[in-house]
Order: sequence, then C-alpha cells, then structure tokens
Amino acid sequence: MVEPKTKAPHLRTPTAETVLPLSRVRTIMKSSMDTGLITNEVLFLMTKCSELFVQHLAREAYAASCSKETSDTLKYEHLSQLVNKSSNLEFLLQIVPEKIRVHTFQEMLRLNRSGTTSDDDDDDDSESESESESDE
Amino acid sequence: MVERIEDLNLPNAVIARLIKEALPDGASVSKEARAAIARAASVFAIFVTSSSTALAHKQNHKTITAKDIMQTLTELDFESFVPSLSQDLEVYRKVVKDKKDIKASKKDAADASASGSGAATEEAT
Repeated sequence: MVEPKTKAPHLRTPTAETVLPLSRVRTIMKSSMDTGLITNEVLFLMTKCSELFVQHLAREAYAASCSKETSDTLKYEHLSQLVNKSSNLEFLLQIVPEKIRVHTFQEMLRLNRSGTTSDDDDDDDSESESESESDE
Repeated sequence: MVERIEDLNLPNAVIARLIKEALPDGASVSKEARAAIARAASVFAIFVTSSSTALAHKQNHKTITAKDIMQTLTELDFESFVPSLSQDLEVYRKVVKDKKDIKASKKDAADASASGSGAATEEAT
C-alpha cells in the first residue's frame, strides 16, 4: 500500500502553461448562455482551475477510499461517495450519482411510487445493470 | 455555440495524465472513474463560469475578471485553489507582458535599424 503523496497543491511550481486545451475550455465556458466576452486571462484561469479541480477530485477520492481499502485503484464508487459527503461538491450530485442495484431500485419504486418519472427509470436501470456486470 | 455534445468533453488523455500526477505511484484509475472525473471537470467549469458571470453582473460588469473567478471560488468553498491560481496568474501576466515587450522591442529594433541606430532594443528590457 503506497501512501498518497502529501504534495500540497500550492507547493507545485506555478506556470503559465496549461495542460488542458484552452479552446475546449472556451467552448465549455461559452456553453453557458449568458457568458459574455472571455478574456485570455480569464480563459487561462478557468483552464488552470479545471486542472486543479481534476487533481483535487482524484486526490480526495483516493485519500478517502483507497487508503482504507487494500485496493489502489480509484473506482467510480469512490468518486460518488466523495461527492455525496462533500458539501462543496454538491453540484455534482446529479453528474456523479451513486449507483444502485436493480433490485434496490425496484424496492425504492415500490416504496415511493408517486414521485418517480419514467425518464429516471431508464437512466437508473441501465446504470445499475452496468454495475452488476462489472462488479459481480 | 456548441455544435456537438462531445465538444464539451475534455480530452481523455490529458485528464488521465492530470489524475496520474495527483495520485501516488502505482495507483490506477478505472475507466469509469476517469470518465466521471472528466465529466465533473466540464460541469465544474460551467458552474464556476456561470457563478462568476452572475457575480460580475451583480457588480454591473459585463465581462468576468480574474478577481470575479477568485471570489467565486471562495464562495463555492474552493478557496484552497486560490493561492495556486494567483501564482499561476502572476506568471501568466508576466509571460504575456514579456511577449508584448519582446514584440515592442523587435519593432523598435526594426525601426532603429531602419534609421541606423541600434539603441532602442535596450529600452524594453
């Protein structure tokens, strides 16, 4: 079991280079309807910020789950668990939902038949099926 | 405008590299986890952008500034990013300024050599 690097993010060397492509980040920023002009400086900052976020997410999820388990593979479940318990990751709850088993879901449906739409059914079903394949 | 939905995805290889950098040696990442992180990063960018835009609008600014982003990050509880980002921004501003200076000095040099004196190059540095 390898200890996670205690490399604090602010200890790395600051750089004017970005790893993620600026043009793609610009497209993503533009996809939000009311985004006005995007200066180069802001684009650079958002790109850097997204890079930091990727690493933050990976590091936190790994530290929270993989150090407890013997596994050194970061899995989807570790991410959804982290999202579930971190208040600043609340905006990802719909994006990285916790997977549930088909039978658990059917149980939920039985208990809570009123508030579910058919749309949700399709999504959750296919996701829990794919998990059953990979996990069992 | 976004023509295709894939345009919102960040490149897989780059995401994989960033994750690898953040994790200890020997750690691996499942395909699904990587895809989820990539998706999360896109959503994060949109989230921060729209929050910053809202913040800028509240202050009657049309365009978001670096300051708006920093303030948004703090409000969204990601203030741990701010120190690194400030440092990066400083370096970035310097690089941009240097590029400008070099351009200017080249222009000066061109002007100077045209008029027969080479002293103008010194000014810019």
